[in-house]
Amino acid sequence: MIALFLLTILVLLAALGAVWNARPVHAALLLALALALHAVLYLMIGAHFIGLVQFMVYVGAVAVLIVFSLLITRPRDEEEEIARRPRTLGVGLLCTLPVLGVLLHAVSRFADTGPVATDAPAISLERLGTILYTTHAPAVLAVAVLLTAVMIGAALFAREPGKKSSVSPDP
Amino acid sequence: MMLAAIQTDESLWSLEWLPRLPQRLVEMLLHKLGASEWFVDFGGLLAAAVTVVAVFLGAFALLSLIERKTLARVQNRIGPNRAGWFGILQPVADGIKMLTKEDIVPARAEKLLHLLAPILIGLPAILALGVIPYGREWTPVSLDLGLLFFFSIGALTEVSVFMAGWASGSKFPMLGAMRAISQMVSYELPLLLSALGVVMVTGSLSLPEIVARQEGYHLGFLPAWNLLTPWGLVGGLVFFIAALAESNRSPFDLPEGESEIVAGHMTEYSGFKYALFFMGEYLGLFAISGLGITLFLGGWQAPLPGLEFVPSWIWFFGKLALVIFLFLWIRATFPRLRIDQLMRFAWLCLIPMALLTLPAAAIWHFTGRGFLSWVVTVPLLMIPWGILTVIFNKRLAPATRTYRFADS
Amino acid sequence: MNQDKMETPAAPARWTWPGLGLLQGLAVSGKNFVQSFYKKERMTTVQYPEERAPISPNFRNFPFLCYDGDDPKAGLRCTACTICEKECPPQCIYIVLDRDENGKSLKRPKVFDIDISVCMNCGICAEVCPFDSIYMDGEYELSTDDRFGGLMLGLDRLSKSADYHMKLRPEQATEVMERRKAEEEKKAAAAAAKAAKAKADQEAKEKAAAEAGASGEKGDEA
Repeated sequence: MIALFLLTILVLLAALGAVWNARPVHAALLLALALALHAVLYLMIGAHFIGLVQFMVYVGAVAVLIVFSLLITRPRDEEEEIARRPRTLGVGLLCTLPVLGVLLHAVSRFADTGPVATDAPAISLERLGTILYTTHAPAVLAVAVLLTAVMIGAALFAREPGKKSSVSPDP
Repeated sequence: MMLAAIQTDESLWSLEWLPRLPQRLVEMLLHKLGASEWFVDFGGLLAAAVTVVAVFLGAFALLSLIERKTLARVQNRIGPNRAGWFGILQPVADGIKMLTKEDIVPARAEKLLHLLAPILIGLPAILALGVIPYGREWTPVSLDLGLLFFFSIGALTEVSVFMAGWASGSKFPMLGAMRAISQMVSYELPLLLSALGVVMVTGSLSLPEIVARQEGYHLGFLPAWNLLTPWGLVGGLVFFIAALAESNRSPFDLPEGESEIVAGHMTEYSGFKYALFFMGEYLGLFAISGLGITLFLGGWQAPLPGLEFVPSWIWFFGKLALVIFLFLWIRATFPRLRIDQLMRFAWLCLIPMALLTLPAAAIWHFTGRGFLSWVVTVPLLMIPWGILTVIFNKRLAPATRTYRFADS
Repeated sequence: MNQDKMETPAAPARWTWPGLGLLQGLAVSGKNFVQSFYKKERMTTVQYPEERAPISPNFRNFPFLCYDGDDPKAGLRCTACTICEKECPPQCIYIVLDRDENGKSLKRPKVFDIDISVCMNCGICAEVCPFDSIYMDGEYELSTDDRFGGLMLGLDRLSKSADYHMKLRPEQATEVMERRKAEEEKKAAAAAAKAAKAKADQEAKEKAAAEAGASGEKGDEA
């Protein structure tokens, strides 16, 4: 339990650092750290599958994507970023406060029922997969179509108009 | 006590207990000392981890010599032969040299990240080595989600490569890191997809289970390995090529292309930090070869019936040696690819083929894995492969080279 | 010339089995690997400090000075004519003529230094030397921890016997030896002829003198 609390504090610190750090690369790496610590948190409470998937998807793909886009773009001026900070902070708080309120409300509703004690996940992994690909197949398909559309859209935006591949194949 | 430590399912002479001995001994010792159960488990796991690390660090030292020797032989040279008998002490000499070298940190480097990157780079490889079944009775950590663990822990490599490239504060490491990350991301996809076929057929993500399912022989002598099925052959080849790229081996060694970008993300490292990168790379090579053997080459299973009396871990390490030699052979033969060829190969050839192994594996599973399955899956894989190669040969292969001045 | 016209059209790619080229490449390197274990002629490496590859007679390195006989000082062929010093393109030769106490030339160098950190191994000194004295050496283990002194070769390190030359470049040395012998013989013959002539002259003189004396005597007598 103590380990969990310590881990939670570490996650929070890493997340705060990710938001607060003015250097984009540091922020991205701290974000990766926060995500990795999340995975560790999942692993510690016994949700192995979610933990490993969290690690693979968020650290392996999302964080790497962010980091890679930092590599190929030129980050903006640091001082400008710091000068803009009060305004950013205000907007950020404005956005997060309602969410926090909803969260607190939700938690307070469960507070009097006490912690839910479960030893193992209520449904097995196999069952989860079966449900996902039978009952909820339309939702999965919709998400897949959405992601594909996003990908194609991104590719279209990234591509300069009227230009074919910039790398010529072998003569 | 020694005999008690060798508690094995089989006879004493099978030697299956040998790699497990340190773990057992530590566990028994702690038990005798009256330690709590948690502590006994912890000590045993620690001993197992130390065994794995010790074995593979030794193998790394040996491989660094064997690689140079093999490359030398292919080029009709002798190779290192000065330190000790046949150069056997060369790794020791290299180690001393690396340790005593000056540790240089560039003035514009990010000190903390620059230090952290080489430490982190070996970590995923060592962790991944812990879940591979080395013998019938020895899997250091037997996880139900072993395969998933392997791939998710591999994500750490990319982050540490980025750290190294960015924290060095100079252009060659940056370029090397960009190349390395784009290459790793691109080749992780075919790697994962080709492993997925095995998971579909086995129905398990547990590596010991995957090996256990490859037991037995076809026609009395052909081992029932996944490689010897149509989808397994294609998947295994895709896995092998993607593993080459994933471990930055030639011909996919662009991230550290010496002739172009000095040493890629390792340019600004010297001394022991460089040695750590080197070690991480080789441990990664061992880990991914071990996974490939587990998935496609039947893990520790004997290759022919009647050879089961040889300890199973000897089969595993024999296969590992063969695969590693294949890596060396390829390194000695092929020139480096260009970055656009590399990317195009991954996205246009490897990923389609890896995707095709999935329906093939499904059909294989549902048509009874017999003659009928062969009839259906072979054309399913062959025809797209033929089309792909025709397209590649027509559009992308270099035309026959003509020398304007030399040939006339 | 029109660049386009020079461009030969790319030949159409021949059909081969996909992957065949890769396998052929692997076969080549595999053959090299296997044969390197039993084919002696493949392994040409020479274990350097223990054994050395024979050097070709055409191999040339920094110059040396040749001497005849056993005494490097007395037998030195060099006459300190300084032709090589003047011809040397990087000016790495330094010669001081040896003189006796009267200031008369002894026709040998007192100092002969070659700075091999400057020398470029062109061999012009060896070509211009009229006394067959300076030749290019075959010595290549010249590394030293003394940057200046160790790379400045004086007479003691430059002087090498004619036998060494014979061993290093037998063809050239034999030719030189024969030429020198012939020249010496010629000289000896000339000297002998001269001596003979002198002797004859002397004799003739004496004869004439004797004859004159005799005629004088005759005259006296007459």
